[in-house]
Amino acid sequence: MSAAILDTPLATPRAAPVRLHTAFAVIAALAVGFAITALVSDAPVRAFLALITGALPDIRWSDAQGFEVRRLVRFGSVVEDAITLTFLGLAIAIPFRARQFSLGADGQMFLAALASAGVSLYMPGPWFVVLPLAFTAAIATGFVWGLVPGLLKARYSANEIVTTLMLNVIAIQFYRLLISEHLRDPNAGFLVTPVFPSAALLPGLMPHTNVSAMLFVVPFVVAAGWAFLMRTTLGYEIRTVGQAAPFARQVGMPVTRAVVLSMAVGGAFAALAGVHIGNALLKRLPVDLSPGLGFEGLVVALLARNDPKAVPLAAFLYAYLRTGAQAMERTTDVSREVVLVIQAFIILFVVSQRLLPAGWPRALLRRRGNTALKLEQA
Amino acid sequence: MHTSATNEAAAIEMRAVSKRYANGTLANDGVSLRIARGEIHAIVGENGAGKSTVMKMLYGLEQPSAGEIFVNGVPVHFADPREAIAAGIGLVPQHLELVGSFTVAENVVLGCEPMRGLLVDRRRAETEVAAVSQRFGLGVDPRAVVRELSVGEQQRVEILKTLYRGARIVLLDEPSAVLTPHETGALFMALRRLVSAGCTVVLITHKLSEVRDVSDRFTVMRAGKVTGEWVSLSVRDADFAEVITGRPVPSLRVTRRVRQVFGQEIEQNKVPLVAVRRLALQGHDGRAQLEALSFDIAAGEILGVAGVEGNGQAPLAEVLGGLRGPSEGSATLDGEVFTGRGVRAVRARRVASIPADRLHDGVAAGMTITENVIAVDYHRPPLSRRGWLDVRAAREATRRLLADYGVVARSADEPIASLSGGNMQKVVLAREVASRPRLLIASQPTRGVDVAAAQFLRQRLVDLRDSGAAVLLISSDLDEILALSDRIAVMYRGRIVAHFPADTDAGELGLYMTGLRGDAATAATLDAPLTQVSTQASEQAGKKEMV
Repeated sequence: MSAAILDTPLATPRAAPVRLHTAFAVIAALAVGFAITALVSDAPVRAFLALITGALPDIRWSDAQGFEVRRLVRFGSVVEDAITLTFLGLAIAIPFRARQFSLGADGQMFLAALASAGVSLYMPGPWFVVLPLAFTAAIATGFVWGLVPGLLKARYSANEIVTTLMLNVIAIQFYRLLISEHLRDPNAGFLVTPVFPSAALLPGLMPHTNVSAMLFVVPFVVAAGWAFLMRTTLGYEIRTVGQAAPFARQVGMPVTRAVVLSMAVGGAFAALAGVHIGNALLKRLPVDLSPGLGFEGLVVALLARNDPKAVPLAAFLYAYLRTGAQAMERTTDVSREVVLVIQAFIILFVVSQRLLPAGWPRALLRRRGNTALKLEQA
Repeated sequence: MHTSATNEAAAIEMRAVSKRYANGTLANDGVSLRIARGEIHAIVGENGAGKSTVMKMLYGLEQPSAGEIFVNGVPVHFADPREAIAAGIGLVPQHLELVGSFTVAENVVLGCEPMRGLLVDRRRAETEVAAVSQRFGLGVDPRAVVRELSVGEQQRVEILKTLYRGARIVLLDEPSAVLTPHETGALFMALRRLVSAGCTVVLITHKLSEVRDVSDRFTVMRAGKVTGEWVSLSVRDADFAEVITGRPVPSLRVTRRVRQVFGQEIEQNKVPLVAVRRLALQGHDGRAQLEALSFDIAAGEILGVAGVEGNGQAPLAEVLGGLRGPSEGSATLDGEVFTGRGVRAVRARRVASIPADRLHDGVAAGMTITENVIAVDYHRPPLSRRGWLDVRAAREATRRLLADYGVVARSADEPIASLSGGNMQKVVLAREVASRPRLLIASQPTRGVDVAAAQFLRQRLVDLRDSGAAVLLISSDLDEILALSDRIAVMYRGRIVAHFPADTDAGELGLYMTGLRGDAATAATLDAPLTQVSTQASEQAGKKEMV
C-alpha cells in the first residue's frame, strides 16, 4: 500500500504556511479589488484608501484642541459587527469541525434573541438577575434549535444543509409572528418590541456607539470555543469524527452523538449573537431584523479555517472591510457593490487552496529546496 | 539472457538522479542504476527507501530535480506518462485499475481503441489483443469478462495493456502483494516469458523471496540512495535481509504451543477463550458475506486466517470488532457474547483490533500522534476526567508508548501522517496493546511496513500471545501466517474451508485459498479435526509439532 507509486504524498498542513496562504489570499483579493476600483472610479487611489482606512477613527492634532478623535462611530460599528460575527463564526466553525455543514446560525440567533427579549421584557429585577437569565434562556434556545437538525440527521439521515435552511425559515417566521402579534410596542409607529429595561441592557463602552461590555465577554467565549474543541472529551470526539469518521467508528467513538452535539453547541454560540443584537446593539427587537448574518458567519469561519482562535481576527477583518465599504460608498464615486465583489474575491482566494495562491509559498520552498540540493552536490 | 555489464546501451540508466519533493523531502539522492536489456531487475528496499520515486520518474509521473535518465541510451525527460509510454515504458500498478464489467480486450484497448468509422472495431481489438497475448505467452482470453477473472489473471491483463501500448520495458510495483503463492508462481513464469520475448522487466518489491526467485540482478536502495547492486544467484538466502536493511535483522522468536500430542498442553489449550459459532453476515445487497463460521481461539494462541483478500476476512474483522452486528450466530469471550453490541461494548470486554486499512481506519491522518494514541481510552481516567481531557496525561502516555515501541518522531504533536508506514503501524499496535486486550484482531498487521518494523510488530504480536491473549491474525501474507500462527484457518467465499496446524506447506494452503479444494463445512474449533493434507511430506509435518 505504502509502496503504491501512484499514491501522492499526504499533505500535512502546517500552521505557518496556512496563515501565509490566508494573508496572501487577502492581499491578492485586495489587489484585484484595486484593479476593479480603478475601472469604475475616476480617483481610484483615493477611493481605495477610503476603503482601507475609512473604518479607522480619525485622530487629529491641532494646537487649539490637542488630540481629537473623530469618526468613532465608524470604528464603533466595526467593533459591533466584529462581536456579532465572532459569535456567528464560532457557531459555524464548531459543527464544521465535525464536518457538518450546518447553516442554521440564522434561525438559532433569531430564536435566541427572542428568548432573551422575553426574559428582558417580562423579568423584573436588577441586572445581575436579568442578564444572566437572558443569556441562559438564549443559550438554551440556541442549543435546542441546533439539536433539532442534529437529531434529524441522526434519526432520519436528513441532510443538514437542507434541514438547517428550512429550520431557519421556520424560526424567522416564528420570530416575526411573535414580535408583530405578542411582543410589539403599541406606542411605536412600526413593528418593534418595547425598548428593553436598562437592567437588561449591556452597559455601553464607547460614546455614540453601541459597543458594549459584550466586548469583554468575547475573549472568554473564544477561549471557551477553543477549550471545548481542544480540551474536552466531546470536542476531541467532534474533531476526530470530522477528520476521520471511519477511524472514529473503529475505535468506538459515539460518532452520532458527536455529530448531533456539534450542531447543538454551535447553536449555543449563535445564541450569543442574538443576545448581542437585542440587548446591546438595538436594545429592542424589530420585526424586520434582516436574516443573512449567519452566512457572513460562514464566511468568517471559512476565513478562520474553523480555528476558534482565528475567528475574532477574521470577524474583525470582515467587519472592517464592510465599514470601509460604507465609507467608500459615502465619500467617493465607487459603489458599495464593488466592495461586496472584493469580499467575494477574498473568499474565493481563501477557499481555492490548490489554485494559484497555494503554489506561491510552495514555489518559494521549492526554490529553496533546489538551492540546497545544488549546495549538496557542490 | 543474463547480461550484467555489456557495452550495449542499457534499457534504462539513471545517472546521479536526485528528486526533492516540493515539501522538501529528498526522496532520491544521487541515484545511479543500470538495467540491462532483457533482464528481470528488482529494485529492493524498505519503505521510504525511494524506490517508488524511481518508478515514478521512470514513468513520467515525477520529474527528477537533478541528474539524467537514459532509455536505450537516449537521454529522456518525461513530462508525463504519455511520453514514457511513447518511449516504450509501461507500468503495472499495484492496485489494478481495470473496468470489471468490460472484457479483457475492451480493457486492454481502452483509450487507444482500433476504430472503424465512429465505432470501436471490437473484432480487431480482440484479434490484436489475442496476438499480443500469444506473442508474450500471457495466455489471457480476450473475450473473458474481467470481473470473472482471478486477481492473478487480472494482473496479466494489466501487463497485456502495457504491452499492447508498445511497452518493451515493463515496470511492476509490488506485483505479488495481492497474489496467492500459485498466482505468484504463474506471474513469475509470465515475466520469464516476457523476457525471452525481448522485454525488460523492472520489479519493485520488498519481498526477499521474489528477489531470489525471479530477478537476475537487483539494486538495493536505502534512505534515497543506491547502496549496491547484486547478482541474485550470488547472495545466500540468509544474507538477503541484511543486504537489504543494511543491518542484521533479529530473527523472530516464536515458541509454538503443542496442540495434540503431549498430555498437559492439551488440557491447557482445550478451553477456548474465544468461541465463534455459526457466525453469518449478510451484506447490504443481501448476499452472504460470512456463512456459518465456527472457530475457537485459546488463550495464548494465534489463529491465522489465510485467504485471498475479499473472501470475508474484512467482514469477519468488522463483526468481531463490533462495527457490524452478525445476521446469525455469535462470538463469546469467556462465555460472554460480545458481538452485535457496538464497538465500545466490544472494547469494554477487552477486544482490540488493528484494522487492515491503516490510513483509513487505523489512524486519523490529519491529527497529531498524541491524538491518535489516546483514541481508544480517551473517555476514561486517567486521560479524561469529568469530560475534560488531561493533556498532560495524554502526552505522558504517548511519550512512554513511543519510547516503548521505538517510534522515531520529531514530536508527539506532529501529525501522524508525517510518520513512516512502519512507525505509524507501531503506534496503532501500541495503542491497541495498551488496552491490554484479551482478544486482538490483527488485520494485515505488517502491510506496507519495512522489513525491520514488520519483524518488530510480529514479535510484539507473539509477546502478546505469550502473555495469554488470544490473537486472530488475518493476513494476505502467507509467510506471516505461517511464521506466527498456532493454527491456520483458510477462508474462501465467506466460509472456512480448511483447518491446518502451524507448519503446513504454503502450496497446500494455496489450493484451498483459491477454492481448488475445500470443505465448506470445516470448523476451526479446538476439537475440530484438521484438514487432511494431500502430500506425504506435509502430513508428517502436521504430526510433528515443533516446540
